[in-house]
Amino acid sequence: MPRISQITDVAFDGLNQPYVPPKELSISPSLKLHRDWDENIDPVTYEVIRHNLWNINEEHGATIQRISGSPVAMFALDLNPSILTEDAEFVYFGPYMQYMSGVTDTQVKWILEYRSDNPGIKPGDMFLANDPWVGAAHQMDVMLICPIFHEGELFCWITNCLHQYDIGGITPGSFCPSAESAFDEGILIPPVKIVENDVVRKDIEALYLRSSRKPEMVALDFRAQLAGNMTAKARIEQLITRYGAKTVKSVMKKVIDNSEAAFLAKLEKIPDGVWRDRTYVEACRPGDRRTHRVQIALTKKDNKLTFDNEGTAPQDGAMNATYSGWRGSVMVAINELLSWDQYFAVGGALRHIEFDPVPGTLNCADFPASVSTAPTQSMEISLYPAYNIISKMLYSDAELRQDIMGIGGTSQWPTTIFRGIDQWGERYGYLLIDPIGGSIGAFAQGDGINTGGQARTPIGQLPNVEHNEQLFPLLFLYRKELPDSGGAGKFRGGLSAESCFIPHNTDYITQDTLSSGNAVPTSTGMMGGYPSTTNAYTFIKESDILERMEDSRLIEDSSEVKGKPEKLELRQENFTQNAADVYAVRWSGGGGFGDPMQRSPGLIEHDLEHLNITPEAARDIFGAVLDADDHVDVAATEENRKQILAARVKRLGNGHGPRDTLSGKASLPAGDNLAVYGSGDSARWACARCAADLGPLSDNYKDVCLREDRPVSDSNPLVGDPADFVDDAVSFRLFHCPSCGSHIDNEIAVDSDPVMRDIELTL
Amino acid sequence: MASYLCGIDIGGTFTDCVIVDGDGAVTTAKAPSTPHDFAQGVRDALEAAGAKLGLGLDALCAEIDMLSHGTTVGTNAIIQKRGAKVGLITTRGHNDVIHIMRGSRGLTGHDIRLVVHIPESQKPDPIVPKRLVEGVSERVDCFGKVIVELNEEEAETAIRRLVDKGVEAIAVCFLWSFLAPAHEKRVKEMIEEIAPGMFVTTSHELVPKWGEYERTAAVALNAYIGPLTTGYLSRVTRDVKKLGYQHPLQITQCAGGTISVERAMAAPLLTLDSGPVAGVTGSQYAGGLMGYDNIITTDMGGTSFDVGIIHDGKPAFSYTSLVHQYAYYLSKVDIQTIGAGGGSKAWIDETSGMLRVGPESAGAAPGPACYGRGGDIATVTDADLLLGYLDADNFAGGTLALDRAAAEAAVKKIADPLGISLIEAASGIVKIAEFQMADLIRKVTIQKGFDPRDFVLFAFGGAGPVHAGVFARELGVSKVVVPQRETASVWCAFGAAAADVLHVHERVNMMRSPFDVNELNNVLGELASHAKAELTADDIPPDRQHLSFSLDMRHKGQINEVEVEIGGPELAEADLPGLHDAFVAQYERQYGQGASLPGARLEVVTFRCRAAADTAKPRLTRSENMSATIDSTASRPSRPVFWTESGETAETPVFEGEKLVPGNSIAGPAIVETADTTIVVHPGQTLSVDEFGNIELSLEAV
Repeated sequence: MPRISQITDVAFDGLNQPYVPPKELSISPSLKLHRDWDENIDPVTYEVIRHNLWNINEEHGATIQRISGSPVAMFALDLNPSILTEDAEFVYFGPYMQYMSGVTDTQVKWILEYRSDNPGIKPGDMFLANDPWVGAAHQMDVMLICPIFHEGELFCWITNCLHQYDIGGITPGSFCPSAESAFDEGILIPPVKIVENDVVRKDIEALYLRSSRKPEMVALDFRAQLAGNMTAKARIEQLITRYGAKTVKSVMKKVIDNSEAAFLAKLEKIPDGVWRDRTYVEACRPGDRRTHRVQIALTKKDNKLTFDNEGTAPQDGAMNATYSGWRGSVMVAINELLSWDQYFAVGGALRHIEFDPVPGTLNCADFPASVSTAPTQSMEISLYPAYNIISKMLYSDAELRQDIMGIGGTSQWPTTIFRGIDQWGERYGYLLIDPIGGSIGAFAQGDGINTGGQARTPIGQLPNVEHNEQLFPLLFLYRKELPDSGGAGKFRGGLSAESCFIPHNTDYITQDTLSSGNAVPTSTGMMGGYPSTTNAYTFIKESDILERMEDSRLIEDSSEVKGKPEKLELRQENFTQNAADVYAVRWSGGGGFGDPMQRSPGLIEHDLEHLNITPEAARDIFGAVLDADDHVDVAATEENRKQILAARVKRLGNGHGPRDTLSGKASLPAGDNLAVYGSGDSARWACARCAADLGPLSDNYKDVCLREDRPVSDSNPLVGDPADFVDDAVSFRLFHCPSCGSHIDNEIAVDSDPVMRDIELTL
Repeated sequence: MASYLCGIDIGGTFTDCVIVDGDGAVTTAKAPSTPHDFAQGVRDALEAAGAKLGLGLDALCAEIDMLSHGTTVGTNAIIQKRGAKVGLITTRGHNDVIHIMRGSRGLTGHDIRLVVHIPESQKPDPIVPKRLVEGVSERVDCFGKVIVELNEEEAETAIRRLVDKGVEAIAVCFLWSFLAPAHEKRVKEMIEEIAPGMFVTTSHELVPKWGEYERTAAVALNAYIGPLTTGYLSRVTRDVKKLGYQHPLQITQCAGGTISVERAMAAPLLTLDSGPVAGVTGSQYAGGLMGYDNIITTDMGGTSFDVGIIHDGKPAFSYTSLVHQYAYYLSKVDIQTIGAGGGSKAWIDETSGMLRVGPESAGAAPGPACYGRGGDIATVTDADLLLGYLDADNFAGGTLALDRAAAEAAVKKIADPLGISLIEAASGIVKIAEFQMADLIRKVTIQKGFDPRDFVLFAFGGAGPVHAGVFARELGVSKVVVPQRETASVWCAFGAAAADVLHVHERVNMMRSPFDVNELNNVLGELASHAKAELTADDIPPDRQHLSFSLDMRHKGQINEVEVEIGGPELAEADLPGLHDAFVAQYERQYGQGASLPGARLEVVTFRCRAAADTAKPRLTRSENMSATIDSTASRPSRPVFWTESGETAETPVFEGEKLVPGNSIAGPAIVETADTTIVVHPGQTLSVDEFGNIELSLEAV
């Protein structure tokens, strides 16, 4: 299927196809843009105004949080404010929900193109928008977009985006796991002028609120968004009054130019090449047992990056995202790995990045696909592999290597949707926020962070158990970090956790599940690191928990209760949890980095001491030898690892014959156990440990590696049998050095999928 | 018999002592701090103060009516990671509460670099490792009902296991214990039986607030600093008793005011940050005497810039504290900090080629380049020197000669790549730092719903008055006060002496509207009797006890809470509509017009009683003789100073602050130097000395 850049006869205007902004925006001549700036600005004025702009954006976000006060805004921090130039380049984008970045500039550009003529863009206007084909992530992410004018010219834009509690659709909360199409989901609002001449249009506001089950909360959030924009607008206008429009604009442009220069300086240190990754979504609708492939490739050529999704499965069921959702996901990884030093001023980088997906796929879906679950499924699954491919690209430079981050926890969100009558006798319906506790994947220089949050919301807030129990009729039996849940590796991924509850002070709870990544691990490792645990639901009907409570014998794990275990499907709707039914949900952890056999004995010892891993995992996965008290015997461990590697080479045989050993020094480190020797046409892949020749750079090094296909359950002690949820056979494919047996890379792959060429380099 | 009030504050370098006599006259003294045994420094400082009063140490101590003291032992234990080995007992199944934290690695917007660059960040080292956490079967629900009885067998095993592992303190936190504390109480008793003398802290006693992570973090930290603080306070108590001090020792706490030494020993967490807080308390008191109700307090030292707010004569509170990424809920006087001080380093952003200042600081060692201690990176202080704000030969009262050549060399490394002159670079560095400070103050005031233009600004710290004229002007503040010269440097100790005894009692009991007035009164009544009993135990007679009450309320289903003051512990049915209106008014003041949700039900979360007792206060003496005449000896040689307003260097008069007298007035541009600081009077600003001897700057709005 063709990519967007290869399609010429279709209008990507945000109706049936996603809106893809053209290079040159077509803006009504009646709208005058403020284009007066100076490239030379004195460094002190620059710094003073820059600091101010950053603070204005921060105050904007704080204003929304204060006024909204909704659990979504306060815990999940599912919001983001931004400042854009007159032509919709990012100046600043807040540190809250990162997904919202990619959906912001596209919507502003669409307004410039499609609203500048009729009804026109004027001082005192604001636009309300949530159409995923124009640019929202999903319908609940409602944007309020505010142009700022100076002397009749459009000076810049202030925008914010805030997730709404309920915006309509067939399921309360508007995540609609069984939606057939967007027509089953929340209201769609292409940008509409809701504030005109500084006055809210009551007719439009009423139209907006009408579809919600919680209109009073949506109304309050709308006021929060309004106040956020008003605050930021007033501050920008003060800046213009004080320093002059030209100076303020010069600073905005300079912020972008600087971020561009910083980005280009990084690209200069990196060789040209292509990096790829692949993963899978499960259960796109109730009853679905297929896997849906998601692929992403990053091509770096000179000073340009191109991302594509070739190979990704077609849109289907209720799991999809639109173009802007996919782009937003990739931008999260760009922000955090490549633009962090610019504090997410990603505008400059975007001048050199092309997003070129294939339309009609599950993460670039055409209208009217169901997209309400996008942020927890298709976007999540589009984002995390992007961390891996950008990290692999950065690896070759020692300094940029410090910025690498593996796939983090909750790489697919295992949703718990519940409803019923609460302990106060009132109707409720919401979802469990706990998986936001996530986990951070491993780094190139150290372990990931246990329950360190979801990387895509760097300052999200996990509710306390006491918060959950106050808001909902639940009683938590436990919430705990899980040993071995982090991906193994030279550096371990962060641990994830599991929450377990029973109904309390209510007769029963009605629940839906909505998940993926329960069969096929989605937090895969990097450069030989292993995957974390999968997501998992546990449901034990008619357990003895109430008797145990009577006897004062509480549990620390669901396996301690007696009862009737029942398998929950990944989109099971309307099941009932009664008083003695124990429900637990586990979310995926962080992927590991590098070969687990190269993890230092000291770190293994530390992990045992702090219950990060079990002694079994220390032995089986890390090759450690433990004494009677489960302490690491360093000398015996070294010897044992040698034997394991030697046995591996012997056992797997070597169909390709003995490998030459390359001489001299590696010309480029390409992965933790992968190097390049030589350059130009004579460049060759090599094992970074023993310098064994792994073939010419034009081939896939994996073709000459020892390949070992093992059950997926071997990849992490907490991973089960994929056949529980999917029909496709899936394997854990390991690729080892044919000479020394060191582990170089691995894949979690559906058996019918070919070996992934994860890296191509041009030297 | 003369009677004295005495305040003692232990800083990193000096132990400060302030003595106030019956007439309000103030005597100050300093002695070097003695980190190996802080009590020694306290004795030395008292001795020095006694010498000034012509009294021996024993004679002085015998005549002190109230000795209040701020301690940093707990703070230091945390910074140096030298706290106790702590065991934690919690509800079975919830052992990992402080390891999981609340997502986001305990970071806030303050640590923005760590927020955006995840590979640099980590969670803090665990205060209690997982192997020292014991889960015990017991359970209370959100209504405060016990639904699983405490399993005493498990509790005993847990305690014995921890004792066997050699813990030095045990923290106890069960879910919902703030509603039903019986299980925590019982476990505490069991610990006291099994391990007499063990430091034990329970969450319902320390922080009876909603949120098990924050409660657990609080008890764990409290236990961590417990043994050290307790040991230290017992030594100080014993020492001052031995010296003849006969009354209960009072300890300054983070909510402002003081608590008894017994309370401080049980809840050392209350002493964290109490030093800077005492500075705000001092400002509140002194500001009241000077007639200022709204004050922004700023303290700029070498590495940091602290901001506090006093509104309507009361300090602004925060309800969340953050120590080493661990958050807990404790009402404390709110102080916000950024890394902007005299030692903040200037640097050039490589990729943009633009000038940046801070947050990295040269600290005290090597310090600014001009200190001549080996620093070669330009700092704000170096820039101050080049601009002429500081005198190389009369810095810190002439105690430290500044090296101008070193400062020039350092600033040149900034100026050359930018292609600007030395003076332009220096004024740029200073301006960026000053605007950062203005931005912080603006954030602190606006986020609390205040307008900085309604405030006067108090400038403390060696570097504060150098820059206050600009950051105050940026904020539209019209008056800056540099407090009375001889007390400015010991302001925190002064705050300790001026502080009231203050206990904050809180209960969380979530109730929804329509409220049952009897249920509200039950909780309030319980708080009131508890508060009275505790003041009485501190030797405070009923006529000096002052109780005030407030409720933290919010919209049902929302998160934001606001504190609503109520008249007393006995509400009548007729008071309820007023309570609703007061909530709406307070909510909208804090969160903005229209932010309140009309028709929504309200929820009371926290009940609070502030129990205070008046103590004798220092009196500032007003000068009878105001004089416009500046003594000729106050003039020092003039020097060239660069003024950003004109963009030019001008020969500028310099005065010796100590020789100025009440009634004196100087129009800027001018420089006034004191032993502790330098006051830069910009063109258009006027410096005057008020009747108390404080220096004031009057500014015009921008």
